[in-house]
Amino acid sequence: MAAVTPKARRFNPFRRRSKLFGWDTSQKVITFFLVILGLFMLLPLVYIFNHALKPYSELFIFPPNIFVINPTLSNFTELFVVTRDSTVPASRYLFNSILIAVLATGAVIVVSALAAYPLAKHRFPGSKALFSIIIISLMFVPETMMIPRYVVISSIGIIDTYWGHILPHVAAPVSVFLMKQFMDQVPDELIEAGKIDGAREFGIFIRIVMPICLPAVATSAILQFQNIWGSTETSVLFMTDDAMKTFPFFLQTLTQNLANSVARQGAAAAASLVMFLPTLFIFLVFQRKVIATMAHSGIK
Amino acid sequence: MARILFNHVYKRYGKEKIPAVKDFNLEIEDKEFIVFVGPSGCGKSTTLRMVAGLEDISEGEIFINNELINDLPPKDRDIAMVFQNYALYPNMSVYENIAFGLRLRKVPKHEIDLGVKRAARVLEIEQFLDRKPRQLSGGQRQRVALGRAIVRNPKVFLMDEPLSNLDAKLRVQMRTEITRLHKQLGVTTIYVTHDQTEAMTMGNRIVVMRDGVIQQVDTPEDIYNYPNNMFVASFIGAPPMNFIEGRVQENGDKLEFHTRRFALEIPEGKANSIREKNLVDKVVVLGIRPENISIDQIVFDAFPNAVFHGIHKSDELMGADRFIFLDIGAENDLVARVNPRYRFDDDERVRLVMDMNKAIFFDRTTQERITD
Repeated sequence: MAAVTPKARRFNPFRRRSKLFGWDTSQKVITFFLVILGLFMLLPLVYIFNHALKPYSELFIFPPNIFVINPTLSNFTELFVVTRDSTVPASRYLFNSILIAVLATGAVIVVSALAAYPLAKHRFPGSKALFSIIIISLMFVPETMMIPRYVVISSIGIIDTYWGHILPHVAAPVSVFLMKQFMDQVPDELIEAGKIDGAREFGIFIRIVMPICLPAVATSAILQFQNIWGSTETSVLFMTDDAMKTFPFFLQTLTQNLANSVARQGAAAAASLVMFLPTLFIFLVFQRKVIATMAHSGIK
Repeated sequence: MARILFNHVYKRYGKEKIPAVKDFNLEIEDKEFIVFVGPSGCGKSTTLRMVAGLEDISEGEIFINNELINDLPPKDRDIAMVFQNYALYPNMSVYENIAFGLRLRKVPKHEIDLGVKRAARVLEIEQFLDRKPRQLSGGQRQRVALGRAIVRNPKVFLMDEPLSNLDAKLRVQMRTEITRLHKQLGVTTIYVTHDQTEAMTMGNRIVVMRDGVIQQVDTPEDIYNYPNNMFVASFIGAPPMNFIEGRVQENGDKLEFHTRRFALEIPEGKANSIREKNLVDKVVVLGIRPENISIDQIVFDAFPNAVFHGIHKSDELMGADRFIFLDIGAENDLVARVNPRYRFDDDERVRLVMDMNKAIFFDRTTQERITD
């Protein structure tokens, strides 16, 4: 009997329908409001896509349109082609940004994971104190660290280099914290089984612990990429050479001079979209991993 | 293939005064299946983990085949371990789980394939080789964990309560399977459990532990019939052995065991042991297993001077047996195992007899066994 019931349930379309539509009133109300809220939050995204494709004539319509009427790529041409001959072309800023974001995100993941594993799975003198220090460092406002950071960066002589962009981002207490909490949940038996199977500490880390912690890695990657991609801090503080600055810095200068002018409005609209696209892409790539929780599947 | 020797092994955690394992001495023979049994926290798992190399040995020595393994890392001890929660790598397929140890040991590919397939065949998990652990049931996962252990042909198997996460029926099935596997492979095995049934049915020898100290090491028969002390007697056997306190008194040339309500004649051999220990006129504890209390006429004929009465309080029908609980004026109810065709009313006065040859006397203060 027991074996038959689920089968019958699966092939009974009425039952599925009743389950789908069998919501009570409060669920319907909540769903309705959440859908409205979702659409409202989607608006800026829709707007940013449309805005970038608007010709100049549409950019200044008042009241503004959300949707574009005559889509054109002229804004992108303006952004990349027109600035090509200026001292620093927009593409240079973009290249800097992509390079830094990719390298720094990778470095953050590697360093954070390597720091989190011993904190989570090994007992060594001072481990608790060390972890507390990391937690405390989460609480500092970034502004308080600007000057000390500048002192460090300038005294090790990496001003105007890519190192100056990447290294400040690598110390990411949020990532360490996130991964440590995740690794705490990896059962000790898995690590012990690995030891008995003959794996070295590093082998256990790479082949057993890291695959289980992929969701945490993905979450950190998204957070850090967003953070690094949008950050102008390193460009403002540690870079004097314009060719070493990043795309968000470029966008900032673009919009700052825009207050009352018509020129470059199109380029700014296109730049906004360019700023946004990688974040969206990264999120789409990693979000499935974020949802996947596989920590306990091998246990019990 | 492997003999294991424990020589005065201690385990202390941090600065705690009382060691988790205390003066552990044991010699495990080649191809033996030895079971460590005891209540939780008795140090049985700790001892196993010291053999595995997952815990340091605070004091003493452990040898495998005359080789001191105290300072060897786990991977160099040539052991395999099966964990209670299986500890399968969730990110790897069943095949990879079994092959992992071999890959790390740089075994050639075709040999890995051969070994994994052979292990899978022995454990009947061939059809699951491509699946991930989470797609398997508990029993199948435990088979994979066993497969991971046998594929390496280790010198020693260590099993840490491998069946406690399985349901009752599967447990019985896996129990026979592990026993069969041991007979087939002949690998020295240390098996940790808190389940006395597993201990009795699987082990060549049983090590009963309590508070980090070995209480008794013996064959299942001897542990059951001649427990060293009251702890072993009560731990092994379900329902546990009955204990009755009473005074030993001379009656003519016979020795008798007196409680407030009845007196039982003690057979000659046991009487002599009690006299030798100068326990006449002292209070001792009589231990008797439920199956050695009878209402059969044959036993009444054999022990006419060991008859007593109890008030029937409740009973449990187990199918093949009926356990009856009787008030005999002692602190605890007496349990007797009788044929299920006998039925009793509550508060019925039941006439019983003890098979006094099977009775065991314990010293009340030391709790040690006095008689054979």
